[in-house]
Amino acid sequence: MTQTTTATRAAPKRDVVPIRHWGRMTGAAVVVLLVLGAAYSFATNPNFEWSVVGQYLFAKTVLKGLLLTLEMTAIGMVIALVLAVVIGVMRMSPSRVIAGVAAAWVFFFRGVPLIVLLIVVGNLGLFFKNFTLGIPFTGVVFWSAPVGQVVTPFVASVIGLSLAGSGYMAEIVRSGLLAVGKGQHETAKALGLNRAQTLRHIVLPQALRVIIPPLGNESIGMLKASAIVSVIAGGDLLTVVEGISGINFRTIEMLIVATIWYLLVISVYSVAQFFLERRAAER
Amino acid sequence: MTDVLTEVMIDIRGVDKWYGPHQVLHGVDLQVRQGETVCVIGPSGSGKSTLLRTINHLEDINAGSIEVGGELVGYREHRGRLHELRESEACRQRLGIGMVFQQFNLFPHMTVLDNVAFAPIKVKKEDARVAREYGRELLARVGLADKASAYPSKLSGGQQQRVAIARAMAMRPQVMLFDEPTSALDPELVGEVLAVIKDLATTGGITVVVVTHEMGFAREVSDRVIFMDEGRIVEQGTPEDVLVTPRHERTQAFLAAVLR
Repeated sequence: MTQTTTATRAAPKRDVVPIRHWGRMTGAAVVVLLVLGAAYSFATNPNFEWSVVGQYLFAKTVLKGLLLTLEMTAIGMVIALVLAVVIGVMRMSPSRVIAGVAAAWVFFFRGVPLIVLLIVVGNLGLFFKNFTLGIPFTGVVFWSAPVGQVVTPFVASVIGLSLAGSGYMAEIVRSGLLAVGKGQHETAKALGLNRAQTLRHIVLPQALRVIIPPLGNESIGMLKASAIVSVIAGGDLLTVVEGISGINFRTIEMLIVATIWYLLVISVYSVAQFFLERRAAER
Repeated sequence: MTDVLTEVMIDIRGVDKWYGPHQVLHGVDLQVRQGETVCVIGPSGSGKSTLLRTINHLEDINAGSIEVGGELVGYREHRGRLHELRESEACRQRLGIGMVFQQFNLFPHMTVLDNVAFAPIKVKKEDARVAREYGRELLARVGLADKASAYPSKLSGGQQQRVAIARAMAMRPQVMLFDEPTSALDPELVGEVLAVIKDLATTGGITVVVVTHEMGFAREVSDRVIFMDEGRIVEQGTPEDVLVTPRHERTQAFLAAVLR
């Protein structure tokens, strides 16, 4: 009843003044000043030779190193993901032995620092002379090759990155698998699907949606971690710029060259990931 | 529909089921004839859902036996002992037994039509065109022909459950099991789902077992009503017998509580 009377009464028009956040505005001004100051001192510092950065940014050796970085990250990511799905599924196995082995794998490769892993894999030749394919204990050998020839620095880098990545990613995959409810498993079972069909057609497609964002972060992490392969002279971007700085002694400038490329690649990748996530979220 | 001469489709004998130290089924005996519609009622925790889930071996049993269509479900008899079946054999047996769950459980990454046609194509290796056509037919039957290409998340609960029923029917089962099919629905959506179940129960020779809390529905569609309590079948008979003039005092107490 009262509503009708208030509604019919014409409300006087008044301007609305929103609250002013003085503290917030001052804070923003301070932050902008600090950033500008830092950028200015960095750009005009006479000890930085920006011309060196410009000179080497598109140098052929640097681009070759960049390509190698991208290659080992891409291959490492694919191998790590395959391993991660296998290990993640194994961890969910009703068999304690299989689940236990998978858990140990995750524990080990997540726990061991990448640099240690790389040094061990990179120097495998110290422990084993030859790779041999044959029947154990019989002396029958189909194929054999010296370890040093097979495990080049590039191969060692890919192996190290894959193993380390698989530990983390197996946990991501597992979280994705767990996110698919019991009801989905039961329904698939009731429809007569076996375990493999359920996993492939029902569980994994749903898990994928959950794990795409963390997997994206993981691949950015791997791209950056790939810089560590410079300790075994993996031939990647960082190995290359370090090599150059060993000659021209412009260490910081060469690191800036590498940094610019890392940031650029990550920016492009982030855009791609944004669209991938949006597509996955559409349903 | 009740015809004593028709064959027994579901034959449950002396089934015990334990969860750890807790016994949820005590020597349950139940025979359901081909084409019969049976509603199972009872308080929560009475073992009615568990019993339903043993019929397609979603739950294993600790004693007794279950036969569907004359075939032992989930087990194989060998020298007087029952051996649990391998997964592939259990899968094959489930083809003849459709099931609808309380929570619908549609596959969210597939369209409605793919939900319905997926299992016939992948599991029964039906021709994709035939399966999809039959899928459309079933969707029309549950009143959702226009939703074929929608994703489940765009559907109401009642619509989702009707799709789930179509999905189970797509396997052309001899037996349909419903596990509290309307318990997760908003009250105004219950009717549309019950109508679909009723349509299915009253046409064609399909055998239907429904675990439900809908007493009106049980009374309307059942050939027989089973009342369970504490893992035992306490009373069974025609809907009138069990729901109107129950003899057992636990049945009376339960009905007094739910029909108030």
